[in-house]
Amino acid sequence: MAHRWGMVIDLDRCTGCEACVAACHAENNIATVDAAQAANGRTMHWIHVERYWEGEFPNVRARFQPVLCQQCDAAPCEPVCPTYASYHNSDGLNAQVYNRCIGTFYCADACPYTARYFNWFNPVWDKPLNLQLNPDVSVRGVGVMEKCTFCIQRITAAEIQAKAENRDVKDGEVKPACVQSCPTAAMVFGDLEDPSSQVSRLAGSMRATTLLAEVGTFPKVIYLERESSHANE
Amino acid sequence: MKRRTFLKLSTVGGAGAALAGCGEQTNQLIRFIPDETLVPGVATWRPGICTLCPAGCGLQVRIMEGDAEVIRNGQAGVVKMGLAKKLEGNPQHPVNHGTLCARGQAGLQVTFNPDRVRHPLKRVGPRGSGKFAEISWDEALQELLTHLSPLASPGSAHSMAFLAGPLRGQRRVLIERFLSAFGAAQFVPFELFDDSVLRAANQLSFGRDQLPTFDLAESNFVMSFGADFLGTWNSPMAQSVAYGIMRRNRPGARGKFVQVESRMSQTGANADEWIPAHPGTEGQLALGIAHIILSEHHRSPEAAGAAGSRIEGWHNGLPEYSPEAVAWKTGVPPQTIMRLAREMAVQTPAVAIVGGAPLAQTNGLFTALAINALNALLGGVGKPGGLQFTPRPPLPGHGSSETNSKGLTGTSVRSLAQHILSGQARTVESLLLYEANPVFATPATWHVKEALESVPFIASLGHFIDETSVLADLILPDHSYLESWMDDVPESGTTAAVVSVAPPAMHPLHNTRAMPDVLLDVAHRLGGRASQALPWKSYEEMLQAALAPLAHSPSSITASSPDDFWTKVKDQGGWWSAKGSAAPERESAAHAVPALKNEEAQFDGPAPGYPFYFLPYASQQFFDGRHANLPWMQELPEVLSTGMWGTWVEINPQTAATLKIEQGDLLEVASRHGSVRAPALLSPGIAPDVVAMPVGQGHVEYGRYASGRGANPIKILAPDVERTTGSLAWAGTRVSVAKAGTGELILLSGGPTKWSQERVRR
Repeated sequence: MAHRWGMVIDLDRCTGCEACVAACHAENNIATVDAAQAANGRTMHWIHVERYWEGEFPNVRARFQPVLCQQCDAAPCEPVCPTYASYHNSDGLNAQVYNRCIGTFYCADACPYTARYFNWFNPVWDKPLNLQLNPDVSVRGVGVMEKCTFCIQRITAAEIQAKAENRDVKDGEVKPACVQSCPTAAMVFGDLEDPSSQVSRLAGSMRATTLLAEVGTFPKVIYLERESSHANE
Repeated sequence: MKRRTFLKLSTVGGAGAALAGCGEQTNQLIRFIPDETLVPGVATWRPGICTLCPAGCGLQVRIMEGDAEVIRNGQAGVVKMGLAKKLEGNPQHPVNHGTLCARGQAGLQVTFNPDRVRHPLKRVGPRGSGKFAEISWDEALQELLTHLSPLASPGSAHSMAFLAGPLRGQRRVLIERFLSAFGAAQFVPFELFDDSVLRAANQLSFGRDQLPTFDLAESNFVMSFGADFLGTWNSPMAQSVAYGIMRRNRPGARGKFVQVESRMSQTGANADEWIPAHPGTEGQLALGIAHIILSEHHRSPEAAGAAGSRIEGWHNGLPEYSPEAVAWKTGVPPQTIMRLAREMAVQTPAVAIVGGAPLAQTNGLFTALAINALNALLGGVGKPGGLQFTPRPPLPGHGSSETNSKGLTGTSVRSLAQHILSGQARTVESLLLYEANPVFATPATWHVKEALESVPFIASLGHFIDETSVLADLILPDHSYLESWMDDVPESGTTAAVVSVAPPAMHPLHNTRAMPDVLLDVAHRLGGRASQALPWKSYEEMLQAALAPLAHSPSSITASSPDDFWTKVKDQGGWWSAKGSAAPERESAAHAVPALKNEEAQFDGPAPGYPFYFLPYASQQFFDGRHANLPWMQELPEVLSTGMWGTWVEINPQTAATLKIEQGDLLEVASRHGSVRAPALLSPGIAPDVVAMPVGQGHVEYGRYASGRGANPIKILAPDVERTTGSLAWAGTRVSVAKAGTGELILLSGGPTKWSQERVRR
């Protein structure tokens, strides 16, 4: 049975702790670059936390928003790829076939969320840091574009398990690394096709928004707005 | 790989197994036998204990089979072994409930760090030069015994000291027992952000020498004074889990959260109301709020009990702390003080939290006592939605002395340094060092480095070379915490009594030995008092013996025999009781200590020459600097600044404009005691008279990722301490700021920065 995997991020719960960022690096074998390349903007945070300042001291506020690949239904990154490396899979994910990628950058240019990251170098892990690598996820080489996969390795593992047990994947059974690590339960993952799933119910919230809705990408990452302040100054 | 090389390597691996000579041969052999429980490609989960900060979260370690390149007896080989692949929170653990922060997850890079000490080392160059030669464990232990045996003989004129992080559980018991064999030995725990002021205050207010636990899940109003409780302070995972529930899990009720601080922290960014009070005036603000609650008769002064009696004028309604007087001192408008007081009195349960910078002032104890009194007045102490204490496990010898402030404030690194430098008769002849880096994390004016340099013999039992252990003559490297038997007794973060226990999650990668086993071995070889105090053959045996009495206490474990109990403890990752709030132990002699008068914070450096309050803060990436050698943390953008791989000076944009400072300009930040340089980061979340720097960078000797990067703000701090407890007043220094050139600021290159603020409803 086809799924439509989606994520809800409740910005009223998100505290900007970045547990998701570290979890993503560990789970997905994301290479660190180094100080010099980080200064060139070549870090590869598949998920990162945007911080927006509002107002001026002392009436200042900071808002956090974790941004990852929005897994758009109408993804601008897909039709532009000349090698079909980025494509839409049957579960609705914007998948990336690393072996097809020739590094044209068209997808990264098309993505309004700048959620795609290019490997400028072959990744280096000073031994024995290579032992930390997750054997379930391939390591990407130089010249390849990469991005958040919704932890497709975890989705596939759950789907195989469910099939072996002759049942459907249960709601909450699949948790991408970021969702699993979130201490305030700000992130919820599940099947948007299933109206009874937690993610579907939350997506119907009055606070639900999507990032850059006006560009018409129909993202499957849905944000719940932070409640406004109770302050009555 | 060529077939020939492959065969050669396989043979070497086998030969290594046969030849592994030192230590217990059977243990050595086991390292080379593939883990039989492991199926290639299938993950196994084993319990663990996070040691990256003092919170004591429970871990779940993902183990998969892999090929590790190891060197044994000088020969390289590849062995198949179970390797830790990911760290996650233990879902059953009462502290973190299956969650784990960014630092905890990066703990994988502690075990696999390329800069770990891989075998015993002996100093060959001048002290501090970092020149060491590899020696065998037998040689290393012999060397250690040569230095320790004379000190163990009765009537020895010299003493020894054990300088370590504030260890808990059986590691602490072991070290104390070990030291009892020596005539004049002292345990010197050191931690920069040690919270001992708060423990001392809780002892005075509530009779509990312990950090508090907050039941935020049930709170309707949370006011935090400087505590980064969602980031780095106390038990951040436990507090974050509860915060999420407070905000959104209770239909119709969303707890309000107010943060008081002069520089917006990650925690403060989440507040509904952010109040920048002047540094060091947080206690006065709390008493200003209490004044309104009392004068408007929302509560009676008696409601606060002993905690109220600690404050002079409490029973007269705190006449000194009228809104106008407090507003003048704190910079918070009187209307705000009155409004907050009324909201707090009505929106119950309400709780006040204090931690971090407000307590790192010369008047830190006064501030903590004032906020404790406010909490007691609000009626939430020991109640749902309020301030509680984690019960202590029913173990003999697990009293307060073991976990808490007695040790911390008893012999501080500062008095140890003074003692050594004074050249008194019973000098410190030998120093053992373990997981503490005071040379990095104390002000230069404490002269810790100079003191340690004059100690005749230093042995380090840690697994990294840092600014302190580089001074060692001998390094006996520890296993990592994933390779050792671990135990912990969390001090806060839950209302269950917890003893965490975890067997090694993986075999050791290098030729290291666990610190507790080394001490047991040394005690055995010393004989006499030492071996009597520590009769156990291994740390595992000691742990099992220590936990045995718990089999009879009510908990989630039902066991049929002692062995069954031990197996279940190991599988679960520890022992814990059912949750229940531990009522504070009210002290009988509440009036034995005189009530505290209003006390102003004293800052080092006159305002004319040093116009800015200087705030070094616990870093989201590196905590107190110990994680600067983890590349994942170096490249984790600090969430408010998005800074990576460096240090910066946070300054208010208007102040910067006045001083003609632009983003990225190199600034020289100077106190009366020294200066550091770092690029300017213009941040609207900081008061115009405050500059802040994250702690953690500026290492000179901490491996390839940390060394020579950024600046260390701790070095320029004044030597001032909190007046009563003697704890470092790390937020009590004033500085000047001057432009010194062009700096480099590494910030996250942003995503959809402009657009995403214009979000559209679905």
